[in-house]
Amino acid sequence: MDEEPERAKRWEGGYERTWEVLKEDESGSLRATVEDILFQAKRKRVFESHGQVRLGMMRHLYVVIDSSRTMEDQDLKPNRLTSTLKLMEYFVEEYFDQNPISQIGIITTKNKRAEKLTDLAGNPKKHIAAMKKAVNSMCVGEPSLYNALNIAMQTLKHMPGHTSREILVIFSSLTTCDPANIYDLIKTLKALKIRVSVIGLSAEVRVCTVLTRETGGNYNVILDESHFKELLMYHVKPPPASSSSECSLIRMGFPQHIIASLSDQDAKPSFSMSHLESSDGGPGLTLGGYYCPQCRAKYTELPVECKVCGLTLVSAPHLARSFHHLFPLDAFQEHPLEEHKGDRCAYTIKVFTCPACSSVFCTDCDLFIHDTLHCCPSCIHRQGTS
Amino acid sequence: MASEDEISLLVIVVDVNPIWWGQHAQREPEFTLSKCLDAVMVMANSHLVMTRSNKLAIIASHCQESHFLYPSKHWKAGDVTGDDASSGSGDGKYELLSVANDLIAEEIRNLMARTQVKGHQTDTLLAGSLAKALCYIHRISKELDAGQDMKSRILVVKAAEDCALQYMNFMNVIFAAQKQNVLIDACVLDSDSGLLQQACDITGGLYLRIPQKTALVQYLLWVFLPDADQRSQLVLPPPVHVDYRAACFCHRNLIEIGYVCSVCLSIFCNFSPICTTCETAFKIPLPQMMKPKKKKLKAAN
Repeated sequence: MDEEPERAKRWEGGYERTWEVLKEDESGSLRATVEDILFQAKRKRVFESHGQVRLGMMRHLYVVIDSSRTMEDQDLKPNRLTSTLKLMEYFVEEYFDQNPISQIGIITTKNKRAEKLTDLAGNPKKHIAAMKKAVNSMCVGEPSLYNALNIAMQTLKHMPGHTSREILVIFSSLTTCDPANIYDLIKTLKALKIRVSVIGLSAEVRVCTVLTRETGGNYNVILDESHFKELLMYHVKPPPASSSSECSLIRMGFPQHIIASLSDQDAKPSFSMSHLESSDGGPGLTLGGYYCPQCRAKYTELPVECKVCGLTLVSAPHLARSFHHLFPLDAFQEHPLEEHKGDRCAYTIKVFTCPACSSVFCTDCDLFIHDTLHCCPSCIHRQGTS
Repeated sequence: MASEDEISLLVIVVDVNPIWWGQHAQREPEFTLSKCLDAVMVMANSHLVMTRSNKLAIIASHCQESHFLYPSKHWKAGDVTGDDASSGSGDGKYELLSVANDLIAEEIRNLMARTQVKGHQTDTLLAGSLAKALCYIHRISKELDAGQDMKSRILVVKAAEDCALQYMNFMNVIFAAQKQNVLIDACVLDSDSGLLQQACDITGGLYLRIPQKTALVQYLLWVFLPDADQRSQLVLPPPVHVDYRAACFCHRNLIEIGYVCSVCLSIFCNFSPICTTCETAFKIPLPQMMKPKKKKLKAAN
């Protein structure tokens, strides 16, 4: 294609003495430096904030999982496919935790064809069940990147403009078998504003480099299983919205949860709309549930799109889950140990101070606050008195 | 039966807002803060006595700060010896319980004496105390030996009303608790609290508004003492109906169908061309323009 910035490959660079990074402490143990390195990596992931950039909160993500012959390779235990599916289950749960109003679909590719494992849906259970079943499937043939991207594109191009359209490809093979010119498909994807990212399991493949560069995604190749997990988790956070995504007001319904007990005389058991299609076990008759405010169809779980009238149904906590992306917590400043005990924390090597309220935290609490809690406990107290 | 390796940690967050308690003491003099704390101490002792490996923490939630009543920084585990005249009580009570009770009483006295109350707000900063409780639980779970697992829950004894400013922090804390599998139970003394109802619903805990405050001890022991595994075998108060409808940002009304801005997720009840929170202009869906069909002029004119 056109000139692209060729980065220097690793073997072309200078000679690195990587053993000098590790230092022993007095007793000869390396544990402190190893923990420090792991901790720095964790912090880097947590603190990579985008600043005041608009984020794409409503995401439609297709995950393409390569199921070709190379996935039977045992360099990830027990084999690549099982390891990938297990990490994907964790990814799906984390994804819906951080992006409750988004949707995921899964596509697999093998034997020069591609097929949809699950459709775009907002309910994690279906995806996890499908992935558990897929562990036993055979890995044969060659993958087809073109077919997989084509299937994803057919659905994504109909999605409304205010959502972010993404594809994540987990690519293990070094070859792909395409029925047509993939560079044309790349041009189409770029025109439709679909962002494609690739996680490679074997080595860097040039067509993936071009694909991700043109569409604005990321391309990484894994080193080992923990690196794989880290790369997957990177995709859980909402990406910065592209400049051309439209902002619009989306009409949503907030249904009430009706809990009816057996002693209630008006309570009648009824089917929920999601049970009519699925064949999971159980009779499906329930007393209470969520009733769509527009058409009164019943559903057992939220968020869901009403099949009868098309209204998106969510509950207020679902929207509240995304607020911490909009108001991220500032990183704490690091100091070496000056005071002995922080704010209710144990003895530690480094202390962290919140820039707003100057209270002191230990390393564990700092990670916990930024990863899970998203608010500084002492700042909350200052808020009340202002 | 809980195995030896399972530790159950109970964190009790007590609302000691002095303004609310002061006003309440004038209305009902027979239920004061000391009676409430007595009931909490009975509950704490019962929890410690249930299983040897149970752990406890008590946080007092004041207007401007939250303070750990137990365990306290000033108390070291080695101090529990009998030669100090005040700590060894003569009635044969289990040492740990008598020391704990004395500590709690002393800490709460110090807390109430030293805090200068500014302002007249009657709401307490519960979100901050819950955040501290979660950090404490996180730390204790890191300090466990391998092979031990810990179940934790937080019991909130709430007196004053909700503070609406804390909504976002409160929701962050609730989601963090849900992620850590920590139950939040609520025992509400006076007025119903929507935030705590949501917290109990999301984390799977129990919410109870007490009809008679003087019987606080009974409610605490009957309803909140059993832990999560045993609750399925007891007949406990039924779950309350939680109103999850969102409030619109313009009028603060509860709405069933609303419009959500895709950038900042603020909720409006009517369509408006500009979002008031993030000031983005929205694309208004216009009806499609039809080309005007040229009408053939009839030859009648």
